[in-house]
Amino acid sequence: MKIEVKELTHQYPSGDIALSGINTVFEGIEPIAIIGQNGAGKTTFVKHLNGLLRPTCGEILIDGESIKNHTTAFWSRKIGYVFQNPDNQLFLESVKKEFEFGPKQQGVSKEEINERLKVVADLVGLTEKLSIHPFDLNTTEKKFCTIGSILMMNPEMIILDEPTCGQDLEGNRRLTRIITALKENNQLCITITHDMKFVVKNFDQIIVMSEGKILKKATKEVIFSSPEILQASSVSPPPITRVGQALALERSVFSQQDFHQEFENKKQAIRIFR
Amino acid sequence: MFIDTLIESIDFSYRYNEAPEAALKGITLEVKKGDFVAIVGANGAGKSTLCSALAGLIPNYFIGYTEGVIKIDGKKTTECGVGELSQTVGLVFQNPFNQLSYTADTVSEELAFGLGNRGLPKEIMLEKINNVAETVQINDLLDRNPLELSGGQVQRVALAAAIILEPKVLVLDECTTQLDPIGSEQIMKTVKRLNQNGMTIIMVDHDMEKVAGLANRVIVLQDGKLVLNDSPENVFSNPKIVEYGIAAPDYYELTKDYALNSVILTEEQAIKKLEEVLADEN
Repeated sequence: MKIEVKELTHQYPSGDIALSGINTVFEGIEPIAIIGQNGAGKTTFVKHLNGLLRPTCGEILIDGESIKNHTTAFWSRKIGYVFQNPDNQLFLESVKKEFEFGPKQQGVSKEEINERLKVVADLVGLTEKLSIHPFDLNTTEKKFCTIGSILMMNPEMIILDEPTCGQDLEGNRRLTRIITALKENNQLCITITHDMKFVVKNFDQIIVMSEGKILKKATKEVIFSSPEILQASSVSPPPITRVGQALALERSVFSQQDFHQEFENKKQAIRIFR
Repeated sequence: MFIDTLIESIDFSYRYNEAPEAALKGITLEVKKGDFVAIVGANGAGKSTLCSALAGLIPNYFIGYTEGVIKIDGKKTTECGVGELSQTVGLVFQNPFNQLSYTADTVSEELAFGLGNRGLPKEIMLEKINNVAETVQINDLLDRNPLELSGGQVQRVALAAAIILEPKVLVLDECTTQLDPIGSEQIMKTVKRLNQNGMTIIMVDHDMEKVAGLANRVIVLQDGKLVLNDSPENVFSNPKIVEYGIAAPDYYELTKDYALNSVILTEEQAIKKLEEVLADEN
């Protein structure tokens, strides 16, 4: 799947210009994180990728075809969007029914739905809660319920809007498993998040947004070594990276293991040159 | 540190209506005036339920079964209404949209809601609104409809709506999850300043670097039980925290091999210690 975004501008009815002349291309299966300050336009931007919002100006091509040619329901089969607030997405009386709804609408066979249900419920950790009303789940379980309902539709691309909100250690590990599984299944995953520890653990490619524009699309090494980009987007590197930078380690570090390795290298270099 | 007890929980248990198991089991703790207490634990451990109990919403608002006692400023929560308790404790909800009054057309009106209930004159209300808007940096949102704001913006409004009532205790239930990193830091600086000016803070958060940098006490919950209640240094250097579903701050993990006689929990301390290690190589 290839999505081309050309000069995308979006103005809300209130007159606020949320997006201004965005140009980018999504292709391949390498997971991408979108980061940036509140109000930068991140959610507005991704809602254009399956037609939930329509451009005021500019255009979006999906595999060469204009998004204008079809309804949101049509594009949702290819590109799934998981809402930031799960309460905006859940509407049925059990987790199982939420999971079955999408593929039923797509005409997927009962056998295939049952097969997907087992895999997806296990992946999102809700196997034991299929009969529960989604509104009786806690906030993070609701989030996994909404993710599961989109995974059930098996889209070519999935957008997760702030899935890390309120997640504990185990929740973040589960999200990592989901992002990894999507890549293994040749599905592109785009994730909006403010959790920079999560970003550096799960994504090599990052888009930074600010004031309705894409400031930079690059690797995490480039992004987190660009103070001017970070400052303009109200983002700060994760703790380990910041400590590594303060100590002027040879390369950017994103994990404890990386840090200890680079720190030992620096100690050794000092010993050699003293 | 003051010694006055503001909140006291004595063997308090709570089960939600129709829930098979209690969400809180025999919680005993004290929160003293001036404390900055962090409540941590895995999801489902009972953190938000404890926040509701410590703010008096349990048992006054949520239906369920309670045992034991919680006293807020000396008054049993079972014997006071939410209105009376809210004079002492302000709660900022995990989902900020749950906090909106849904009666206000503008953020200013939203912030005036609680003040109006207290019968304050308009001039004082306006002054307080402008001051709190400055504090949480929402001056540019005052004329906007709260329902048209982003999640991060509503979190700031929810915090402002609680602060404006100047409670003795502010309970923050994951109040910065939708804010960008710099915005979250700004809000936490504001909360720290409020604490330094005498406001008691109880905060739930999953960001252990943030918790370690702010709290003077950390309470760990697991399956509704209080399993640790100690200084950040003692909690985060306790290997059992892994079983409770939490991780020590990265600053501790980066420095523990070098700081044998101390527990390092902040970025500044970590950099200083590691610079010393490098200097010793020279």
